[in-house]
Amino acid sequence: MKKFREVAVVGVGLHPWGVFPDRSMREMAVEAITEALADAKMEWREIESMVSGGYLWVSQREGMFGILSGTAISSAMGGIGIPITSCANACATGGAIFREAYLAVASGLHDTAIAVAADKSAGGFFRPQSEDKEFDLDYIRYVMTGETNPAYWAMECVRRMNDIGTTEDDLAMVKVITSKVAPANPKTRYKKAFSKEQVLESPMVCTPLHLLEICATSDGAGAVILCDAEKARKYTDKPVLVDAAAIGSPTFGDHTIPLTYLSAYPRPGVGILTESRNAIAAVYKMSGRKPEDIDIIELPDNSSWHYFAYLDCMLQAQDGEAEKLLRSGKVDPVDGDLPVCPSGGLGACGEAVVAQGLFQIYELVKQLRGEAGERQVKNNPKVGLAQTYGYAGNNAACILSKAW
Amino acid sequence: MAKKQVPIIEGLFTWPSDKPQLIASRCKKCGTVMFPKTAFCANPDCEKSRENVEVVNLSNKGKLWTWTIQNYAPPAPFRKEPFEPYGIGMIDTEEGLRVLGILTTYDNLKLGMTMEMTTGKLYEDDENEYITWMWKPVA
Ligand SMILES: [Zn+2]
Repeated sequence: MKKFREVAVVGVGLHPWGVFPDRSMREMAVEAITEALADAKMEWREIESMVSGGYLWVSQREGMFGILSGTAISSAMGGIGIPITSCANACATGGAIFREAYLAVASGLHDTAIAVAADKSAGGFFRPQSEDKEFDLDYIRYVMTGETNPAYWAMECVRRMNDIGTTEDDLAMVKVITSKVAPANPKTRYKKAFSKEQVLESPMVCTPLHLLEICATSDGAGAVILCDAEKARKYTDKPVLVDAAAIGSPTFGDHTIPLTYLSAYPRPGVGILTESRNAIAAVYKMSGRKPEDIDIIELPDNSSWHYFAYLDCMLQAQDGEAEKLLRSGKVDPVDGDLPVCPSGGLGACGEAVVAQGLFQIYELVKQLRGEAGERQVKNNPKVGLAQTYGYAGNNAACILSKAW
Repeated sequence: MAKKQVPIIEGLFTWPSDKPQLIASRCKKCGTVMFPKTAFCANPDCEKSRENVEVVNLSNKGKLWTWTIQNYAPPAPFRKEPFEPYGIGMIDTEEGLRVLGILTTYDNLKLGMTMEMTTGKLYEDDENEYITWMWKPVA
């Protein structure tokens, strides 16, 4: 693989996650960018290139802004004539634009780049975006089978419980453990810790997943500023190196029927979530690191099933290791040897779909710098791993490390 | 007089029929089965030639791979009126396809059990009942 030049994260910013009906996505993006610029002690005019997350609910809110979010945001900041690309890779968009911004700097084309995404998905269930009964598979799937996102997650969960022996207690404990830190994160939407009883008594949405075992949708915005590592010290004493940033897509024969699809043609030995395992394999290869090098993880806990499936995926472990790790306390978000979701995860913030990957990167950067306050992990992390899962077979992952 | 039963979307299963079957595509070269019908084989190693793909009606039997119960009404455009919780599952057909579908019941289901394809009504108007394919446990 061709060796690029080193790239560092020098600034991160988030508009808080929540419900903000009186703010436009542009405004939220401007606030996230402003915080990231202040974090980097950088001026807006020092940004040389930008990649933006394209809002998915194009027809429903703020008109054409969704697909043209990049220039809409830059015009709200004040146009400075830089190259801007907008990208929509479903829920993995945040991780995908981070990679594109990384490549803009790593390639040597630009010394600085910003990844920015704003999203207003609060209250929105995923549903088809057209009524094309001829060619829109998502529309056909939805009206003929009534498959909601949680129904898909629940079906994978039922299968995992059958194959591995995941228990209802395990599923509930995911929420108990990840929500412990939620009150300590000012950027999350739900600042509340839950008991196992509260989780198990919450309404059953799709058997076996309760309401408190699936994530909500949220509004939110994030910005991450990347810089040539050799120039990073100009902006920060604590540059966080990008060891790897990758996107994964599915492999033919995947055993999953991904959301928006009606069928799969499983091939022997291929398994499920190939887009996710492909992205993880890529970041380990690119960074030269191994699962045992990872000190801290942000994973996409869209549901309790995801927590287990992705912990196994991200550690390249045997299916079922994740449940053992959770039961052992090793992945406690603050006190664990391998803290997982010290941000509180998607369970605590709800998913601001295309911005979610930036929320995770923000958390890794804060934790690696030791700036996470009350929720600062105890294991003095040096290397962090984040991954976002997106519907329709989208995925992105990155590995970040301390450069000081 | 009984209302006419009309598929919500035509062309996905054989209808009218006493033994409805999903209408799929199969690659003549490698055997890959795809649903709904597609123009080209999804196998990356297969030539993208329309002539290589034929339409096949799937056997209406399969095994239950996994399932859940949707306890709350999904938002439009899905319609199931009056709403009651329903089962939804993934079924492995004899042709090797894993396919989604609403289940006729969510009682006494076991992974791996044999399921048979049928149809069922989701909603109706003055003239028609609107139907989709469903999977029914075989006793
Ligand atoms: Zn083929």
